[in-house]
Amino acid sequence: GVPRLVEWHKQRATSGFAAPSSPNQSECSHLQKLHRGSSFSSPVVEHVSSSSSSSLKTKTSIEPKGKHGTGALDVASAMSPAACSHVNGFKVDNWKQNLRVIYRCFVWSGSAETRKRKAKSCVCHVCGAHLSRLHSCLYCVFFGCFAKKHIHEHAKSKRHNLAIDLLYGGIYCFVCQDYIYDKDMEQIAKEEQRKAWKLQGTSHLFAPAGIGERYSTWEPTKRELELLQHNPKRRRITTNCTIGLRGLINLGNTCFMNCIVQALTHTPLLRDFFLSDRHKCEMKPNSCLVCEMSQLFQEFYSGHRSPHIPFRLLHLVWTHARHLAGYEQQDAHEFLIAALDVLHRHCKGDDNGKKANNPNHCNCIIDQIFTGGLQSDVTCQVCHGVSTTIDPFWDISLDLPGSSTPFWPLSPGSDGSVVNGESQMSGATTLTDCLRRFTRPEHLGSSAKIKCSGCHSYQESTKQLTMKKLPIVACFHLKRFEHSAKLRRKITTYVSFPLELDMTPFMASSKESRMNGQYQQSMDTLNNDNKYSLFAVVNHQGTLESGHYTTFIRQHKDQWFKCDDAIITKASIKDVLDSEGYLLFYHKQFLEYE
Amino acid sequence: MSKESQLRALVNQKLIEMGERERLKELLRARLIECGWKDQLKAHCKDVIREKDSEHVTVEDLVAEITPKGRALVPDSVKKELLQRIRAFLAQHATL
Repeated sequence: GVPRLVEWHKQRATSGFAAPSSPNQSECSHLQKLHRGSSFSSPVVEHVSSSSSSSLKTKTSIEPKGKHGTGALDVASAMSPAACSHVNGFKVDNWKQNLRVIYRCFVWSGSAETRKRKAKSCVCHVCGAHLSRLHSCLYCVFFGCFAKKHIHEHAKSKRHNLAIDLLYGGIYCFVCQDYIYDKDMEQIAKEEQRKAWKLQGTSHLFAPAGIGERYSTWEPTKRELELLQHNPKRRRITTNCTIGLRGLINLGNTCFMNCIVQALTHTPLLRDFFLSDRHKCEMKPNSCLVCEMSQLFQEFYSGHRSPHIPFRLLHLVWTHARHLAGYEQQDAHEFLIAALDVLHRHCKGDDNGKKANNPNHCNCIIDQIFTGGLQSDVTCQVCHGVSTTIDPFWDISLDLPGSSTPFWPLSPGSDGSVVNGESQMSGATTLTDCLRRFTRPEHLGSSAKIKCSGCHSYQESTKQLTMKKLPIVACFHLKRFEHSAKLRRKITTYVSFPLELDMTPFMASSKESRMNGQYQQSMDTLNNDNKYSLFAVVNHQGTLESGHYTTFIRQHKDQWFKCDDAIITKASIKDVLDSEGYLLFYHKQFLEYE
Repeated sequence: MSKESQLRALVNQKLIEMGERERLKELLRARLIECGWKDQLKAHCKDVIREKDSEHVTVEDLVAEITPKGRALVPDSVKKELLQRIRAFLAQHATL
């Protein structure tokens, strides 16, 4: 009856998990691709800790304690409330096949032939109407309106107590006077619906309507139910829980790897991708870095408090990025780029990863999250013709004051106002200053003339970089390590960086409007596309010769933790913002449709 | 049956035959979810169940309660889009 149905729905409900920078996740085509839902709600990912080697990667959560407080076992039985006893009269002989035929022909008509038949025959036998909640009798060939009670009359006179709704496939019992939910019948309905969907073709038919793929709720398979029952321990995700935090053992100057792993395991979209088990491996076992990454996420979200020993990861890195092999201290930034590159190459099996060999058209998870487009405009000083190229990037490397490359003066037109709420201590450089410098027009001197296609000769030019397309995760690399011919040193100039960053002034589109004389200052606050939130900071302490990497990462919305190899400690926002900063990871605040 | 209802039946037949009805249904479903209609109605259903005796609410009760609100809350833009789709479809299959 209804009480158990209500219980069933309560236990199937999903609850939300607050990601650190709380992007607006309800409408995002990237996430649609990841989660394939037209009705999207914040995914809850909960790892069921298991004693045996079979670990279950769950996709939705199950409320840990139902009304009766017994958890998973309740779900299994409550999922299929018994239908009314009146279906027993129907469930005789070859009823399953008969029901399938009814679904196939009159409810979920997949093929052209069944559609034609449905179109012709599905009308009320009493009044000929086709749109008044038509039902089909389950005992004989009779169609009748529900709204005008024609099917009710039939049921009464013929004592046929079951009918099926031709629009949605629900089964109505005239004795109970309500729709009933029979496990076996629902199973058949679901199977026939899926079959019909397949027949109707792939999602490209729906693409013009902008719908994307069909959404079907997740149901546990028999095997998954078994696993859930054998592993009854549940973990509730609250605002203060520390799941996802885990130390990493230093295997000999491997803090350059550890610090990046901490940043990656706390990148919300990457975490969601791996915990939803979306990687399909096409490589030899034990050679795929993406699989190892997946394992790493399982370790981090397992709830184990002891530090993890990433020896397999190190081995894979040495195998696939030989320039990082060896026990010397390496550059964390180099490791980041190498890791992203190997992950990108190993994503061959995932979705559109088939295009992995074409760097411009890959759609793997790494590209979806990290790849942005950098626009380079070279303007000929003579004819003012502009030659534009757009290159993909995974990070932005920024020069700092105090390096051999001149930092000041900034581009003309900068008004020195406080942008992005950075602390403007007198003289202190901000991230925004660095970005302004990065995107300033630069005169390429007379020794670097370029061939101008307009003038057909070599001319002096100016070059300017702007952001064409922003990645979901923007990584800023402050170039603190100088390796010029003369000296090798570390630049320790303090650069203040903000918690929230607006990239609008550095966009190619903004530059175009500025050139056209339009001042967009007031519009910036309305445009949410370019707003970013800090979620990880990698710091380097020490000198070029001997140094140590640590990472600050963000949990939930406002909690920060310092990851120093095996030691994780709570940190304040002030600790983070006062730190020197080497690699800064920002996450888009709002994820929009493409 | 009146001329109009005959025409309606014919249009409906064509829509079903060509699979367009299914596509329109999916389109409508997606749009109603996107604009929050589904969530609003769902909340309304919960309210209705809470008000009535939750042991004895039938589907019919719910249908009766939420249909007027449901109809009223469909955004005009959605109605327009569907109408355009149907018109386009009919124009394409003008051999009616």
